[in-house]
Amino acid sequence: MAEEHLDDVYRYLLYVTGNPHLAEDLAAETFERALRRWRRFDSRRGSARTWLCQLARSTALDHFRTEQRRRRREDTYATDVAQADEPVFGESLSPALDAAVRSLSAGEREVVVLRVVLELDGETAARVLGIRPTAVSTRLSRALQKLEERMVSDVRG
Amino acid sequence: MSEAKFESVTRELRATAPPAPEGLRERVRDLRAPDVRRVVRLRPALVAAVAIAIAVGLGAATVGGLFGSPEGSDQTAVRGRAIELPGVLDAPELRRVTPRAPNTQGDSTFRAAKAPRFSRPPFQLQASAGFAPLLVPGTRLQQYAVAMNLRVRDLSRSTQAAVRQTRRLGGYVAAANYSTGSTTGDSSLDLRVPVQNVQHAIAKFTDLGTILSQRISVGDLQAPLDRTDARIAAQRKIIDELAAKDVRTPAEQQRLDGARRALRRLTQTHTNLVREGTYARISLQLTTRKPVAKHVAPSRFDRFWDNSGDILGKEAIAVLYALVVAGPFAILALLALLAERTRRRRADHRLLEGTG
Repeated sequence: MAEEHLDDVYRYLLYVTGNPHLAEDLAAETFERALRRWRRFDSRRGSARTWLCQLARSTALDHFRTEQRRRRREDTYATDVAQADEPVFGESLSPALDAAVRSLSAGEREVVVLRVVLELDGETAARVLGIRPTAVSTRLSRALQKLEERMVSDVRG
Repeated sequence: MSEAKFESVTRELRATAPPAPEGLRERVRDLRAPDVRRVVRLRPALVAAVAIAIAVGLGAATVGGLFGSPEGSDQTAVRGRAIELPGVLDAPELRRVTPRAPNTQGDSTFRAAKAPRFSRPPFQLQASAGFAPLLVPGTRLQQYAVAMNLRVRDLSRSTQAAVRQTRRLGGYVAAANYSTGSTTGDSSLDLRVPVQNVQHAIAKFTDLGTILSQRISVGDLQAPLDRTDARIAAQRKIIDELAAKDVRTPAEQQRLDGARRALRRLTQTHTNLVREGTYARISLQLTTRKPVAKHVAPSRFDRFWDNSGDILGKEAIAVLYALVVAGPFAILALLALLAERTRRRRADHRLLEGTG
C-alpha cells in the first residue's frame, strides 16, 4: 500500500509545503503514522488513498503549527521555501507555471494538487480537507484564477 | 481561465508531477510497524455498549416474564383469615363445595358443640382442598363477616327473597338500600344472621343468582373476651372486699365507686363482644348488570407478555429519565465539540493560507 500511494502522498506534501526535502520528511512521517494507526483505518469511510492524504494533511498542519510557534518565539527565522531558481513542482515544469504555483498559498496549492494533480473527485477532496464539496469547487476556482493571473503577469513582466 | 488554457495547465501539472525520491522509498520500505497499544475505538465501543445495554434490558424483561409473579391468575387467595373468591362462580359450582345445612339432625359437622362458656359455639374457618372455605364448629368466640356479590335476574324478587330467608333463619336486616318494584339495577343489604345459621344462609343466597365475588373474614373475639372476663373478676373481688367492710374511709369509698363503674363498663363490653360473636354480618350486593367481559384466567403466554411489558416499560422510563437528566449536558458537550471542530478547521485554513 505504501508503494502504491507513496507518489501521491509525496506530491500532495510537496505542493502543500513547497519544499521537496520537507515533503520527503513529512511523507516518511505520514507513513509512520499510518503504520501506527492502521487499526483505525475503515475502508467503508473512504479509500486508503484518501485516508493517507488526510494523514498527510494532518502531519503537514502539525508541522506548520510547530513552525508558527517557533517563529513567534524567534525574532528572525530562516524560510524553508526553496530557492527561486530551483524548480520545485516538477523538473520539466515550465518556469512560469512553477513560479505561479509557488506564488499560491499552501491552502490554494493544496486544493490544486488534490483536484488537478491527484485527480480526486470533489467529494473525496472535500473529505480530505474536511469541508463541503461546494467549498472545494470555490477554492479551486479561485486558485486557478489566481494561477492564471500570475502566469499572465509573468509573461507580461 | 479558458477551457484550453485549463486543459494545458492541468496536463502540464500532471505530466511533470515529480515522483517520490528513491531515498524516501527506501525510508518507507524500512519502516516497521511499531508495537501499538490496543486502541479502543470510540464509535464501535459506543455501538457495542448500546447493543449490550439493549441485550441486558431485553434479557431482564424475558427472565422477568418467565419467572415473574403470576399476578392476575385466577387463584383462591388465602391470606391470614380472609378468604376471597374472585371472579365468576356459577351457583351450582359453589353448591358443590358448600357444606350441608347446619341444623340437620345427626350432622356432626354443624351440630352445636358444648363450648366452655357459650352454648352456641362459633364456627372456625378452614381452607378446604377446594376453593371454598369450610366452616366447622370451634370453641372460640369469633366475629364473622361475609360479603357476597351476586348477579340476579329479578332484583326486587331476589331482594325480598333474601330478606325473607334472613328472617326465617333468625336474623334481621340491619340496613337495606333498594327500590321496591324495580326489576333491574342494584340493591344492597346489610344482614345479621345467627352464626350457627350462616352456612345455611350462604347456601340460600347462592341460589338467588350467580356469584360474582364472595369474601369471608373471621376475627378472633376470644382473646379480648378473656381479658374482659379477667378484669371483671378482678373488679368484683375489689368490690366484695370493700363492700364487706362496715366502715370505709373516704378513699376506700371512692375506690369502691370506681370499681363499680369499671365493672359496669366491662360488663357492657362483655355483652357487646358476645353479641358480635353471636350474629354474623352478611353484606349482600345484588345486581342485574351483566359483566363487561367474562374474567378469563390469563395464560402463561399472556403473563409472560404482561411481565415483560412491565419490565420493558420501567426500563424505558429509566432510559427516558436518564436522557432528560443527561440530555442537556450531552447537547452542550456536542455543541462544544462542533464549535471546537469548526474553530480548528478555520484555524487550519488560515494557517495554510498564511503559509507561502
